Amino acid sequence: MNWRAGCLLACWLPLAAHAVDLDPGKDPVPSVMWAFYHKQMLGDAPFVFDDRVKLLAPPFAEDARQVPLEIDARAFKGDVVKILAWAELNPLPKIVDFQPRDRVLPWLSIRIRIEQATPLRAAVLTRDGLWHVGSTLIDAAGGGCTAPSVVRTQPGWEEHIGEVLGGRYPRGEFSRLRLQVAHPMDNGMVGGIPEFYINHAELRDQNDHVLATLELFPAVSENPNLAFDIEGTGQTRLLLRDNSGNQFDAAIP
Amino acid sequence: MRWILLLLIGLSLPALAAELEYTLKPRLIAADTWLLEGSTDNFAKANGGNIVNTGFIVTERGVVVIDTGPSKRYGEAMRKAIAAVTDKPVIEVLLTHHHPDHALGNQAFTDVPIGALAGTTELLHQQGDGMAENMYRLVGDWMRGTEVVLPTETLTPGVRSFGNHDLRLLSLGGHTGADLAILDQQTGVLFAGDLVFYQRALTTPNSPGLAVWLTDIATLQALPWTLIVPGHGPVATDAKPFEQMRDYLTWLDQLLRDGAANGSDMSEMIRSPIPERFAGINLSRYELIRSVSHLYPRYERGQMTRVDSAATQ
Repeated sequence: MNWRAGCLLACWLPLAAHAVDLDPGKDPVPSVMWAFYHKQMLGDAPFVFDDRVKLLAPPFAEDARQVPLEIDARAFKGDVVKILAWAELNPLPKIVDFQPRDRVLPWLSIRIRIEQATPLRAAVLTRDGLWHVGSTLIDAAGGGCTAPSVVRTQPGWEEHIGEVLGGRYPRGEFSRLRLQVAHPMDNGMVGGIPEFYINHAELRDQNDHVLATLELFPAVSENPNLAFDIEGTGQTRLLLRDNSGNQFDAAIP
Repeated sequence: MRWILLLLIGLSLPALAAELEYTLKPRLIAADTWLLEGSTDNFAKANGGNIVNTGFIVTERGVVVIDTGPSKRYGEAMRKAIAAVTDKPVIEVLLTHHHPDHALGNQAFTDVPIGALAGTTELLHQQGDGMAENMYRLVGDWMRGTEVVLPTETLTPGVRSFGNHDLRLLSLGGHTGADLAILDQQTGVLFAGDLVFYQRALTTPNSPGLAVWLTDIATLQALPWTLIVPGHGPVATDAKPFEQMRDYLTWLDQLLRDGAANGSDMSEMIRSPIPERFAGINLSRYELIRSVSHLYPRYERGQMTRVDSAATQ
């Protein structure tokens, strides 16, 4: 057996083991769309509903355009391949595809838009090929996805696109990195305004080594807020790209 | 079998309809001064949005109404309640601010001048329909037929006389940016509107900032009042409502300040412990969740700096 076949087999075996007799457990939230999303987001791969993936949101959306979401998969530290998050009943459900690599903990905070009360999901793929799905419910008066942009009402907003506010906050063994990017994040659902949003972000260290990558989707709020927990010290760079090809970067000391 | 079911439905329908009746019992709290005290709960189908204190003063010239409640139905019930204690006509409505629980009963008072601060009318014009829509979602059928009616008269600070009552009008803004407080100079009753919440957590959706609100509390406390009527919660003859407001506002401000300095995110902030001494304040967790959404973005921006390459070049 050559090494490639061996690798394939090694990758496949755990999947097969899970596929045989894996009980995903009971869905903790009332959902009519789990089967659909299991197929669409996770490609029908093996999964478990897992409360070790903490998906934290307020019980209701006070501002449906800026709903804080915290994804905490630190229980799987060192084992996480990627984290996918989505809002089941949003017209544009996808939120983020987050791949923490070196030094970045499997924890993310982000703000999103909610169109109506909905189940929220964060699916964490671990190295053994299993998806661990964290869930929560949020109530909402609604309209967050179709509400007119706040950014676009501010005169001269074009001048500020790509401006980044940031800060690093020491927290013992790691530090919290917070970033807020000026961008309208148009989702294409407001009349006459096409999609215009940041779709890619990367964290790199001072040697240009990639620490984490994110694919962002139009469910992310305007003026995106992101927070990461990073181990170690040294300057961290944030590289951003929007779907019009604009590139922005920032450096947090 | 089916006709029994129909009969049962027929019998229960009037009962259901009767449930949507506000029982407003005016309570005399000072000479000529009546209070309609609501609960300190949140908007719910069970209470029809009657979570607010409204009042009226029976002057020699006629009745001055302070706030009109959360719905058309409430406004109408309020007029009946007024008619039950006096034959005098309603001559004026004074709105303390534009929030739905205080101003959506206006429809029952379109025959008299409805006075408000200019800022209140502007805010009601901008936000009224949205707020009414949300009220339909929260309390349902109680809202039937309710529509926004804008004030017809602009109030300015100073003393306005209504018969034998001189009302001192104060233009403040800590709660919504346009908050009217009314001191009756004859009775010493201070209608504080939602600048004062007592035993009920304060709400911040339009607050220009907690520092402004704290200044307003000091202004109100310095007035020659004898009885405080909060917008929500029980009336008081001592300064406890002011003390509670000052304590709570100071705590909330410090909490948000510390959180921002520590890099906490909103979802962490809403889980912050609430001090034991606020245990008697209804809905403090619920309102903390809301206040973090309203106020925290300002605090967190204050603790971040420009880090993009365009700024450093």
